Amino acid sequence: MVDLLTTPAAWPAILLERAGAEQPTDLDAATQAGAFDSLRRVIRNFGATGSIAIIGQSGLRGRGGAGYPAADKWRTAATTDAPRRYVVINGYGADPASATDRYLLEHDPFTVVEGAAIAAFAIGASEVFIAVRTEATEAIRSLTAAIGSAEDAGLVGLDVFGSGHDIRVTVRPVQGAYMLGEETVLLKALEGKRGQPEQRPPHPAERGLFGMPTVVQNVQTIAAVPWIIRNGAEAFATIGLADAPGTILIQLRTAAGDGIAEVPLGTPLREIVGLGATLPMGRSLKAILVGGPSGGILPAELLETPYAFEPLRAVGAHIGSGSVIVADDRTCIVDLARLLTRFCAGEACGKTIPCRIGTRRLTEIADRVVDGRPRPTDPQLLIDLSEDIVASALCDHERLTTLPLSTGMRYFRSELDDHILRSACPAGVCHPIAVASGAIS
Amino acid sequence: MSLVPGLGIAKGMALTLRRFFEPKVTVKYPEDRRDPPPKFRGRLQLLYDEWGTLKCETCFQCAQACPIECIDMGGMDTRGRFHVHWGAPETYGERREESALRRSGRPVPDPAYLPFATVDMSALDAILEDYDHDPGAMLQILEATQAAYGYLPVATLKRISQKTGAWYAMIYGTATYFQHLRFEPPTATEQAAAMDAHRPSEGSYLTALDAALGSTARA
Ligand SMILES: Cc1cc2nc3c(=O)[nH]c(=O)nc-3n(C[C@H](O)[C@H](O)[C@H](O)COP(=O)(O)O)c2cc1C
Ligand code: SF4
Ligand code: FES
Repeated sequence: MVDLLTTPAAWPAILLERAGAEQPTDLDAATQAGAFDSLRRVIRNFGATGSIAIIGQSGLRGRGGAGYPAADKWRTAATTDAPRRYVVINGYGADPASATDRYLLEHDPFTVVEGAAIAAFAIGASEVFIAVRTEATEAIRSLTAAIGSAEDAGLVGLDVFGSGHDIRVTVRPVQGAYMLGEETVLLKALEGKRGQPEQRPPHPAERGLFGMPTVVQNVQTIAAVPWIIRNGAEAFATIGLADAPGTILIQLRTAAGDGIAEVPLGTPLREIVGLGATLPMGRSLKAILVGGPSGGILPAELLETPYAFEPLRAVGAHIGSGSVIVADDRTCIVDLARLLTRFCAGEACGKTIPCRIGTRRLTEIADRVVDGRPRPTDPQLLIDLSEDIVASALCDHERLTTLPLSTGMRYFRSELDDHILRSACPAGVCHPIAVASGAIS
Repeated sequence: MSLVPGLGIAKGMALTLRRFFEPKVTVKYPEDRRDPPPKFRGRLQLLYDEWGTLKCETCFQCAQACPIECIDMGGMDTRGRFHVHWGAPETYGERREESALRRSGRPVPDPAYLPFATVDMSALDAILEDYDHDPGAMLQILEATQAAYGYLPVATLKRISQKTGAWYAMIYGTATYFQHLRFEPPTATEQAAAMDAHRPSEGSYLTALDAALGSTARA
């Protein structure tokens, strides 16, 4: 169980607005608090195109990592000619160190169901799948209960609000690999196929589940939708950054513990780190890992970076899973980068050469450096190989897998050099074999 | 033409001599074996038996095993369906048993078939009925099958293929991809440990992460 971190009172609560409910699956309490009002208004007042326009004006972007405008996906799916359309909610939560989506599903399942139903209505889909990992039993239980009671009340299911539209919502537990979080892989799993990514375009919004236009949306993205309909696009657009409005859930992990918080996009990293417990006595902040296993390792000097899509990309990190991990001075950056790269390489699906071989070669370079057997050419090899992987990758996983090592090298070059040139680990973590200095001149 | 006669040859010999003393990279297979990378799937080659017949059984396993789906083949699959890609269909079109008989002159008990016989299919048939024999629900069918039998016996995969109309090889591809699906009864803890060592599982990732952050004390 992870706790909520206390955030400044001035920060808005959009995603966690109703997450404090005592009985998250109590439909009466939820509807009294406003649940399914937005769906009703969408069906009765705004209509499909009207609702897509509102989401468009709000500037809502995907919370699953890539930050793609939600309304653009909806519009594409709605206007692509097809006999059927689908909405898939990505609640897989691939990063083992981040439980933000799971937290939301457990504590406010109705908002997710309502948001998904709005998306389904807007694009003309009658089937919604909410994909959750099998291990998240509590989230599955609460979603199943929520869908059941909403169906009984006629809020989802057949003939929603007497509109003649059917919106069937189903929970689909999936398990078995990190890559299942990637949208095309998730769709493959839902089709009962091997989980390997697909070439894009066509994007799932044109050709997705069973070849039909499919809107894939992260849990948090979809949970913001009812709030936007209820409070208006302008209210949403004024929160956070102009080009990345709204809030997002982060999971902060420090040596002292874990916690989840809702933060406005654009909040400086320093404030996010400040939400957690202070570092243990005598320790200083050395680096922050932003984005999950394939995240960037940023130095303390970059603590002013706004937590948002483009600013993080610019410094070599990404929003990713919403995970923010604080490393103190006991951490060896090279060792950390190797661990992350190895995890990502092990989880790469094996479909393409950058994924199957490129990520493996990256791991080997990191292994050599940590074990004290580096080659003098390794830094350059690392740069070249990373560039090649980024340029030739099929899915984002391989591209992002280059980040831990490349940011480690960019911001902590002297530590890397200590390993390579002097066989020394300044943090005292690695035990490189002492190499005769002549051997690697 | 070089000015000094024979210089080119001397240069060549010098290179040979230098190479001669450099460390050798050739591995003396099969005495020495390198550990193949975890995702290594081997070199492709179609082999002929001593009767000059292709050993390929048109099982489509290799086509499905190729992660980038670059392998395909022509002929008849074991379920009698015809696919034209290349090559004469008669090269591929035999049933497995027939070809074994012809190759050896006697019926060969094929070890791959041994585990087939004893599995009771009624549980599986009920599962297939539940899912309406829908190949689109393959993952759920496989999970339910594993829940019923404890693992995925080969015979059940064959049965699923027959009843849903999905290629056996496609089912096999799905079943091998997902880490939680297994082909042997879950007896050996060693097996789980061996898998862990090859694929960094999530638990060990978090433990390693905490260790890298210096907070080994935390669970
Ligand atoms: C390796 C990898 C893992 C991913 N894991 C997740 C995940 O666990 N949850 C998620 O919502 N998106 C994940 N994504 C992003 C999805 O592919 C996709 O962009 C997202 O679900 C789309 O929803 P959004 O537009 O609302 O963000 C992952 C992407 C990659 C490349
Ligand atoms: S194309 Fe497929 S089968 Fe061939 S070598 Fe590459 S991965 Fe292996
Ligand atoms: S194609 Fe294999 S991980 Fe991206």
